[in-house]
Amino acid sequence: MSTASAGSPLSRWRQRLWRLEAGDLGPVVLRHQRIYILPTRRGLAMIATLTTMLLTSMNYSLSLGFALTFMVAGVVASALLQTYRNLAGIVATPLAAGEAFAGGKLEFTLSFASVGSERRGIVVRARSGPPVAVGLPRGATRPVQLAVATRRRGQLALGRVTVSTDFPLALWRGWAYLHFPLSGLVYPAPEVPPAALPPGPDGFDAYRSARAVDAELAGLRDYQSGDPLNRIAWKAVARGSGWHTKQFEGSGGSGPLELAWTDLPPGLGVEARLARLCAWILAAEREARAFSLAIPGTALASGSGPAHCRRALTALALYRDADTA
Amino acid sequence: MKVAAVAVSPLARSQFAWLAALVLCAQLPLWPYVPLWVAVVGSGLVVARLAMPADRRIPERARRWLLPVLALAVGVGVRASYGYFLARDPCVAFLYALVGIKFMETRSPRDGVVVACLSLFLLLTQYFYGQTIVAAAISLPAVLVLGGTLAALRDAPAASARWHAPLLATARMLVQGVPLAALLFVLFPRLAGPLWGSPADTGARTGLSDRMEPGSISELSLSDAVAFRVDFFGPPPGPALRYWRGPVLSRFDGFEWTALPRLHGTRLPAERGPTVEYTVTMEANNRPWLFALEHAAGLPRAPITDVTEPVAPPQRSLAILTDDDQLFAATPVTQTLRYTQRSVLSDRFPARGERDVRENLQLPSGNPRSAAFAREMRERAGSDRAFVAAVLDWFRSEPFVYTLAPPLLEGNRVDAFLFDSRRGFCEHYAGAFVFLLRAAGIPARVVTGYQGGEINPDGGYLIVRDSDAHAWAEALIGGLWQRFDPTAAVAPSRVERGLGAALPQGEPVPYLARLDMTWLKSLRLHWDAVNYQWQRSVVGFNVQRQRDVLKDLGLGAAHPWQLVALVAALTVAWGTVLLALARVRRIRLDPASALWSRLCRRLARAGLPRRPSEGPLAYTGRAAERWPQSSAVLHRIGDAYAALRYGPRDGASDERIAALRELIAALPNTRRMRSPR
Repeated sequence: MSTASAGSPLSRWRQRLWRLEAGDLGPVVLRHQRIYILPTRRGLAMIATLTTMLLTSMNYSLSLGFALTFMVAGVVASALLQTYRNLAGIVATPLAAGEAFAGGKLEFTLSFASVGSERRGIVVRARSGPPVAVGLPRGATRPVQLAVATRRRGQLALGRVTVSTDFPLALWRGWAYLHFPLSGLVYPAPEVPPAALPPGPDGFDAYRSARAVDAELAGLRDYQSGDPLNRIAWKAVARGSGWHTKQFEGSGGSGPLELAWTDLPPGLGVEARLARLCAWILAAEREARAFSLAIPGTALASGSGPAHCRRALTALALYRDADTA
Repeated sequence: MKVAAVAVSPLARSQFAWLAALVLCAQLPLWPYVPLWVAVVGSGLVVARLAMPADRRIPERARRWLLPVLALAVGVGVRASYGYFLARDPCVAFLYALVGIKFMETRSPRDGVVVACLSLFLLLTQYFYGQTIVAAAISLPAVLVLGGTLAALRDAPAASARWHAPLLATARMLVQGVPLAALLFVLFPRLAGPLWGSPADTGARTGLSDRMEPGSISELSLSDAVAFRVDFFGPPPGPALRYWRGPVLSRFDGFEWTALPRLHGTRLPAERGPTVEYTVTMEANNRPWLFALEHAAGLPRAPITDVTEPVAPPQRSLAILTDDDQLFAATPVTQTLRYTQRSVLSDRFPARGERDVRENLQLPSGNPRSAAFAREMRERAGSDRAFVAAVLDWFRSEPFVYTLAPPLLEGNRVDAFLFDSRRGFCEHYAGAFVFLLRAAGIPARVVTGYQGGEINPDGGYLIVRDSDAHAWAEALIGGLWQRFDPTAAVAPSRVERGLGAALPQGEPVPYLARLDMTWLKSLRLHWDAVNYQWQRSVVGFNVQRQRDVLKDLGLGAAHPWQLVALVAALTVAWGTVLLALARVRRIRLDPASALWSRLCRRLARAGLPRRPSEGPLAYTGRAAERWPQSSAVLHRIGDAYAALRYGPRDGASDERIAALRELIAALPNTRRMRSPR
């Protein structure tokens, strides 16, 4: 059993300095223990200029030169404190992890709250992903979505997040690491172009099923709770003519699909199989057809609806090959 | 990584405006000190770039060669203007233009930072040419604009943003930084001399020189510049006694009086009679001599600060006293120098022996009429003393005119002056007088220095200006060097009341040397009093003053590392106080959340971390399954926390928090939980 705070003093120090393990279980208040500040390139340029000015003042005995140099140095030092104050007292809370198909963007949501003063120019950045700017008025709480690029299916941890700022003069950059144990699911990328759905048990033929992907609207029926959102006739709702669900030709009319690992062509590799199953699950969900799933290690009884679909996709995402497991 | 991404984004119009304001703030104070064409080119480029539409940029190809070519051209031009390049003034002029050129081709925030740094340095260079209160005052807004520029370069201000907001923010930072700046100003070690070779062109102003040709002192007399200021311990002596002795000139070549090439001996002055003591604050003049009232009765010492009674602790002397009674500093006075000096008010002092006689009888050939006149007069007078009195009488009775604008003389200049033109300034009278004495066989020499000075009623100190420059004579009679002032014979009021009283109407007397005490002049005197304080406490804050201040603070004997530690400690204290003022206290989570986080950490240590998606009830439920022996407590914890967190707020929350705390405390410790079942 390995936990964040166990281990030698050295590794505890490493964790404190770099936050390499996901040790932040709850909300984190940024305090001086976490905040690092170093001069930026601009800060270094300014310090070099001030040093030159100091040497010149010394050489030419320019009292006012000393005064000017030290005045500007006072501003630079004061900017350091401002940078610190801009970070200190921010409360970061992990909110949610999203889901994505491999190759897409997985969104994590954190919330940032400003205790005390207004915070300006805060930038939040996951390890891989674009920086996100946050403005925090006094006492405000703001959700921040961090989109992380995904490559492979499975669990994807958010990893270490850097909160930084170079407010007010960009002479100093202050930053702090946050490492929440937040992880989202990456489903396999669906096969492109999608293979035809396997024939259903009642002889539903593959040809019609393939056409059904771009099926024609057959009509509307009354909305029943549980109908998927993308089937609701929103235009009708907007017109005020009540809640209706769109029905497509062929949908609902055929029997449940059986999606099974063993029915796939034997030459297919593991990832290719998962990709095809994924595409089929999505197609079945689009058509609102019930399906069952059987892959090594997992068997899902026939069902339909978003929750069932998510369970099936999760099984695919977390599938471990018998050889590798 | 991120910086590079920002660097390619072009500057917005508002950022250009800020940058231009900063560059102009740095350039304008230098206008009088750089060649006109440099000023026009350097500032013109800035204005021209600003007038261009922001989106019209110089093409990349042109941009690449524009900076080097323009910089080279300006460099060549500066070299041509000054005749040399590697010195302070040409470099300032070059930098002036370079900032303009760099601004011209600026397009990214990164270029902007380069321009800002160059401008900041340029801002410093104006102090080469003067460290007045005005120079300091115009630097302050420039520092504010620097802050505004940096803020604008960090984040282009929105069109709706108020332009003065960054100035106010910088002003706040400036005020916060003042204690630190003051601390460094006082404690940062000052150097006695320059770090690298003494720059030849420091300070354009020079006072008296060690040579005197016709016109040299009258030229100096046209200047209002302050030579030095004097604070007397006790009442100041009257104007006729205020002869400030400077270079002594013993050699004459028929045209020019010069000092002896070598200084003779170092003597300790003897105390004779009552003395006056005073502190001189000398402006830098790049000359080695210090001034003392005739005659010095001691060596100059570091000033005694804040004492009314003169005390004489043994101190390192700042200068030596030569045989001809001049004070020579070890190095030229390149920064404001303060020293305390003691003098005996007397017009004579003992000669040093044979050499004085030998060196002060030499005369070039020429001026036969004067030589004959002197010999004849000596015959008639009978004694040296009578002869000198007769010569002074002759000056008094003949129609000599004291004027700043004497005619130019050729050939035998002394003859022409004494018998033809009879119009001259003090250098003419002193020179001719010494000539006559030497021709009559009396050792004599010219003494230059300052005479008089003006008491500033506003502060009670004496101001001695270049317009008080004077030349008088000294004759060796009966083993004593005695002062004679032939100018006083011609124009007695020069000595009593100064230049303004002595010169006829219409002469170009410097404004402040005039007698009428108009309100403008009194205003100038008030201003001078303020300036004197400024000079003494700010500009003149050098090694010596620093030592005094440290001594006053009780740090006189502190080691350098102790001072460094002091600065570090005070800096930390400064930061702490500022942060405390800003009320960055330890920010606490609300107590319920804090307790919950603590519980989560404990259970995680025991091997059951909370899943991010798990709420309190689900988590404690899972924990209860894992540790059945504590399941009742765990369930109650979950309920209590959920009620606190999500339930309605009521007055009893404090008690419920206490209850939650007790529940958590009731859990067995982590180690026991780690080995369940």
